[in-house]
Amino acid sequence: MPVTVEALAKLIDHTRLKPETKRAKIQELCEEALAYEFASVCINPVHVEYAAELLKGSSVDVCCVVGFPLGATMSEVKAFETKESIRKGATEVDMVINVGALRDENYDLVRSDIEAVVEAADGKIVKVILETGLLIDDQKRKGCILSKEAGAHFVKTSTGFGPMGATPDDVRLMRKTVGSKMGVKAAGGIRSFKDALRLIDAGATRLGTSSGVAIVEGYRWAGYSDAWLEPDKPCWTCPSRQASLGKQPKEVYLWYKERCVTCPHREQNIFND
Amino acid sequence: MTATNQHLFADTKLLKVSLTSQTSKELPLSSTDFTHFLGGRGLGVKLVYDAVTPEIAPLSSDNLLVFAIGPLTATIAPTAGRTAIITKSPLTGTIFDSNVGGYFGPQLRRAGYAALIIEGRASSPVYLWINDGKIEFRSAKGIWGKEVSPSTDLILEKTDSKAQVACIGPAGENQVKLAAIMTDKHRAAGRGGVGAVMGSKNLKGVVVKGTQKVAVANTEQLDKVITRVRRLIKKDSITNKSLPVYGTPVLVNLANEYGLLPTHNFQEGTFNDAEGVSGEKLLERLFVKRYHCFGCPIGCGRISRAYDEEGGGPEYETLWALGPQCGINDLEWIAAANFRCNELGLDTISLGSTLGCAMELVQKGKLKAPLKFGETEGLMELIDDVALSHGLGAELGEGSKAFSTRYNAPELSMNVKGLELPAYDPRGVQGHALSYATSNRGGCHLRAYLIGPEILGSPVLVDRDRTEGKAGLVVLFQNLSAAMDSLVLCRFTTFAFTVEDYADLLAAATGLPIGGQELLRIGERIWNLERLFNLREGFSSKDDSLPPRFSTPLPEGGSRNRIAHLDEMLPEYYQLRGWDKKGRPTQTRLKQLNLS
Repeated sequence: MPVTVEALAKLIDHTRLKPETKRAKIQELCEEALAYEFASVCINPVHVEYAAELLKGSSVDVCCVVGFPLGATMSEVKAFETKESIRKGATEVDMVINVGALRDENYDLVRSDIEAVVEAADGKIVKVILETGLLIDDQKRKGCILSKEAGAHFVKTSTGFGPMGATPDDVRLMRKTVGSKMGVKAAGGIRSFKDALRLIDAGATRLGTSSGVAIVEGYRWAGYSDAWLEPDKPCWTCPSRQASLGKQPKEVYLWYKERCVTCPHREQNIFND
Repeated sequence: MTATNQHLFADTKLLKVSLTSQTSKELPLSSTDFTHFLGGRGLGVKLVYDAVTPEIAPLSSDNLLVFAIGPLTATIAPTAGRTAIITKSPLTGTIFDSNVGGYFGPQLRRAGYAALIIEGRASSPVYLWINDGKIEFRSAKGIWGKEVSPSTDLILEKTDSKAQVACIGPAGENQVKLAAIMTDKHRAAGRGGVGAVMGSKNLKGVVVKGTQKVAVANTEQLDKVITRVRRLIKKDSITNKSLPVYGTPVLVNLANEYGLLPTHNFQEGTFNDAEGVSGEKLLERLFVKRYHCFGCPIGCGRISRAYDEEGGGPEYETLWALGPQCGINDLEWIAAANFRCNELGLDTISLGSTLGCAMELVQKGKLKAPLKFGETEGLMELIDDVALSHGLGAELGEGSKAFSTRYNAPELSMNVKGLELPAYDPRGVQGHALSYATSNRGGCHLRAYLIGPEILGSPVLVDRDRTEGKAGLVVLFQNLSAAMDSLVLCRFTTFAFTVEDYADLLAAATGLPIGGQELLRIGERIWNLERLFNLREGFSSKDDSLPPRFSTPLPEGGSRNRIAHLDEMLPEYYQLRGWDKKGRPTQTRLKQLNLS
């Protein structure tokens, strides 16, 4: 087993961001985070105060999303949301980048947007969600560089609400861009321990998932057979396979699909898996 | 943990009854049998292995019929209400365990018995009444000849309405090789013809009531483990959503999408009208209520209404066997046929598969009979004829292997070791194909349910087309299933639990200090003992095979162009099992397992 069960749990932000979430679910989330010793619970701002109370004195952080899930609100609003969340007990903030401005190459606006949140966070950890499914590789690299310049602590792949999710390719690219000292959080579509291990192998130092319990429990099976870790078809983990014209800008979608044509594994991309 | 607690389950007794002499005696469950085989399937296999030699025919009086429960039965562990029924199968000739839900098992446990061992044959039909420690052989006059529901009602009327009944219907009485043993009127220990064995003994039913308290070794520890595992059941989308909402028929659309839904006797892997016989359609059209077995928080069982009659089912396998396997798309007819099989005491899987085989024989001009894929006319009457052993029905009641051989087309029987394959075409799932071929009881999806990882992604999705690593997974799940069937817990818990969870439940309930690896070793021991039984009966590596059809690619659908690559996996499987190239356990491995 590449990491211990406990070490894997410690990399997980135990996440519940659905709009219909009731307090009972937040309580359950916190109880599970304590039982499994996850890194944090990742929740919407309205639940921060309650979660902070439940997790008081524990090693589990309270991570709050900001400007979520679109990132298209004003910097002042993101800063206010950050400040208030921290006042109520959040110890980490996951903000969504201004995706439109990044695609417009309005880099000053992107950078200042992040800086406003970093400042409001007052030294607490800030992670910047790039929403990689809306970007091509050059834009992802630029988003990483701007986040680093603005003083953020992590770059993060996705919200889980946008197109595609975390892929090893994206994590590898982000790790290469930010270097070894900055954190890389993979989030979106991480449902199994195999997904988790692939992303850790690619360079992720934190995993955002609502399947934390299943991942940790599932990982116990790895102690009984090496067969679980046999490689899958390459297309399964390729971002190009996940691209969707209905969910992505046309040029982004085509950028991904063009890669399939020249892919060395294209012979395996037949019928259904 | 005290010394006495270490043998908590072993303190229950074995009840041995002779139907010939109508006598009974209690025997102790030896400490070794408990620690080596636990209970349920493992214990039953040990008892049958020791007593039933090759010269004993399955339907002779010397064959044993064992009802066995496990160390978790009737405790508060989730799904701890199942019963294992073990015998030599008249359908396959192999060792056989058939597993049934409902509420029978907990009554046997409360009566103080780990196993009921039935031998001999009554001179006239009887039923057995176990009322705590009091055993009575009662005449079944007036009950013999009746269907399952009236039989159950009559037996309860004559004994105690709070007791539980396991009985046979006309199919079992007529020793039809597809006969089931039924509990709670509609739960079937369906496979392998265990009902025929019961019928051959002139035993209509077993009725049991127990009032003893079930003691556990460490209540506090058990509560703690149960809180944890119940939460896992609630967290898992299969055990918390799919199964409670749709029951097992949720699999119809999924199997069809993957091209695994055997259609027209496995000639195709997709059924055009799958949606019409799906779990979703069942919920919309025929659903009445859910059915929970004892102590089950999942509740996958269905009570349905068809033609103004309510009944149990249909499950996924039944929907398939009486539906797409025979080309039938009439959901209400399928449900009604299921109810009929329940009343007659017939295994719906083997019955439907044999009917599909007969339809293909007709299609290919090898049999002249009023049977045609997709047509239901006259079929309900034919099902009755199977149970009553009349005419063509009597031939069908021998199972598809014998039936197709009779008409010179054995290749049209979709069986392994004589047991009809269930509702997954193996060509699209390599691990599951290996699991079918190596199953000790023949064509069975439950010995190692590789559909979990290969299709459902439970616990994690693996490439269904790869052969590498599949032997290891099949061995893992076969060993775990053997252990689980000996605890006895429902197979559906594997979607939520890991190996440690089962070991922790066992340790807390019995005081037996055990971890995951040791639990798997017990499973491996049981698996090897089953193998030894089959080898002794004359089975060999030649029987670890699939019908020739699965070497021909599927023509279309989600698994098109695929075949089963058994030859790539079987040698590794034997090697991992510690068997020689002919599939025989080596002395070294048997010694390691304390079986030499």
